[in-house]
Amino acid sequence: MANAFVAAFEILSFGAIIVLIVLGLGIIASMMGIFNFAQGEFVLLGAYITYLAYAKGMPIWAGMVAAPFVVGALGFVLEALIIRRFYAAPIVAMLGTYALGLIIRESVRGLIGGFYLTVPEPIGGSIDIGAMHISAWRFTIIVITLLVMAGCYLLLSRTSFGLRVRATLENPALARASGISTPLIYGATFAFGAALAGLAGALIVPVFSLFADLGLRFLIQGFVAVMVGGVGSFIGPVAGAGVIGTLSAALPWVMAPVVADVLVFVLAIVFIKFRPQGLIAGKGV
Amino acid sequence: MPKSMSVVREAIAGDEADDAMAERAAAGQVAAGRKVLPIVEGVVLVAALLAPLVLQDYLTVFATRVIILALFALSFDLVWGYAGIMSFGQALFFGSAGYGVALLARDLDITNIFLVLPAGTLIGLTFALLLGGFLLLGRHPSSVIFVSLGTLTGSYAADRLARGWYYLGGQNGIPSIAPMTVGSYEFSEGPPFYYLVLGILVVVYLLCRFLVRSQFGLALAGLRENEQRIAFFGYKAQHLKAIIFAIGGAVAGLAGSLYAFHEGFVWPNMVGVVVSTQVVLYVLFGGSGTLIGAVIGAIIVEGVSFWLSDNYRDIWPIILGVLLLLVILFRPLGLISFVLGERERVGSFGAKPKEKRNAP
Repeated sequence: MANAFVAAFEILSFGAIIVLIVLGLGIIASMMGIFNFAQGEFVLLGAYITYLAYAKGMPIWAGMVAAPFVVGALGFVLEALIIRRFYAAPIVAMLGTYALGLIIRESVRGLIGGFYLTVPEPIGGSIDIGAMHISAWRFTIIVITLLVMAGCYLLLSRTSFGLRVRATLENPALARASGISTPLIYGATFAFGAALAGLAGALIVPVFSLFADLGLRFLIQGFVAVMVGGVGSFIGPVAGAGVIGTLSAALPWVMAPVVADVLVFVLAIVFIKFRPQGLIAGKGV
Repeated sequence: MPKSMSVVREAIAGDEADDAMAERAAAGQVAAGRKVLPIVEGVVLVAALLAPLVLQDYLTVFATRVIILALFALSFDLVWGYAGIMSFGQALFFGSAGYGVALLARDLDITNIFLVLPAGTLIGLTFALLLGGFLLLGRHPSSVIFVSLGTLTGSYAADRLARGWYYLGGQNGIPSIAPMTVGSYEFSEGPPFYYLVLGILVVVYLLCRFLVRSQFGLALAGLRENEQRIAFFGYKAQHLKAIIFAIGGAVAGLAGSLYAFHEGFVWPNMVGVVVSTQVVLYVLFGGSGTLIGAVIGAIIVEGVSFWLSDNYRDIWPIILGVLLLLVILFRPLGLISFVLGERERVGSFGAKPKEKRNAP
């Protein structure tokens, strides 16, 4: 019983981390049609900023709060300078963002070297329920993920900004004709997606520690999750991330980890092949 | 962005390009005889032939590696430059062939060149047929995004499998593979291996050149420019794609088996995402859609990387990223487009027409 509970918690917390990382990726892919290969590096930057705050002796939470804003601002600038040129050609966008990611990753590698740097958890210790102990920080991540998810959903479905974003997604020409500044919306959406990645990086760095290939590890998992969930909506990628995250955390409990690792990807690709629209089809929120 | 709009935009862009091409074609007849492509090819070939005579021994070994990677780049150029299939998993065929011949050498003691190279090519071909058949064929045509992410995922999954599978050596791969043999002669690093690899590259290059200049190549180029039009003409676009994908896989397999024997070991990175993206870099730098561009790209990227990594090991990947970004933004046709005109890049196809066309 206790073991099953701990396993369930592990699975849930890994699922939450994947959802957190995929949120930004999914918003950029769904709302802009761009598969951002630099997203993993935005995660890495968020983690690096948190580490920097810790190394400079500032409280860790200050770094965690700053990370999404800094990365979001960088995303806005990059969109205006570079990403903007890629909208007509999705494959070129992949290559261009890959190049951007390469630059960011190697710069961070130059700054930290080949080390694994640890950052302590801002909320340490464990929560005890009877005889069971679960990590307080992982629990916090689950809570924050739920809050961010709800916040994004409300932002996209209930605010006028969300309405504009969805209008730009559905029909850019008509949105422009209606007086919506679509370039600004694209810029803001990209910045928002980047900020979410920065937040994800800041939150997971105590769990995974900081190393240059931190983002790369999650990027392909993230892409697969977005495709499984379905590009075009907000809910789709989140659902896909839930499924992929849960599967890749749960399968190693019942079979050899190597087989589980590969099986998740094979299952996902076969699923997408036969259901290209993903779990949740349709556009909008 | 709605799909219909981008398709229309592409179609319009295509028409403009056609018009521009027709004009340039007319101009080209006036200035006939100014062909740059054969000159570039000749220069590269002569330089490659003479290289071992002037290079020191350790540089010849390095040059052999570059020639093998150029062969690998050729395979990606066929798939992306000619058919417009974005394969982010080309290393899957390269690496699995490498692992295959390494296992042949380790477990069965087969190192005869006439057995291992066809075996590697066959492994690449088989894997490419399986993956390409699955990703590209089917009732509904697959989106470019699905194919590119599918190949990427395949390569990543293979990397994870190779890392975790004890039989394949896990993280360390398979070390100290016996050298390739012909009878009792062993190919070790050095000029003989170099000329062997160069000979193979030239043969494969000429075969590819014949292929992309044939009627089949014309259909492929049409696929790349506008898939719908080609489908409307009655071509089975998906089949064409699967065929060229398999051919690309076979060439990658050949390159992978040469690489395994040259380096003497294989390791999980060889099937993984890093090598997959590296080959994309070569072709983008050199110029996709021209075979010589892929070769030049591999030589330049590897050469500069070798030269810079002595003194600027840390910042070299950053420079590479910046250069790549600049090429994508400002020179989408690669470095070769500095010397090669659009008309010559597209080239002429099939047999020469018997009658002279009426000049407009």
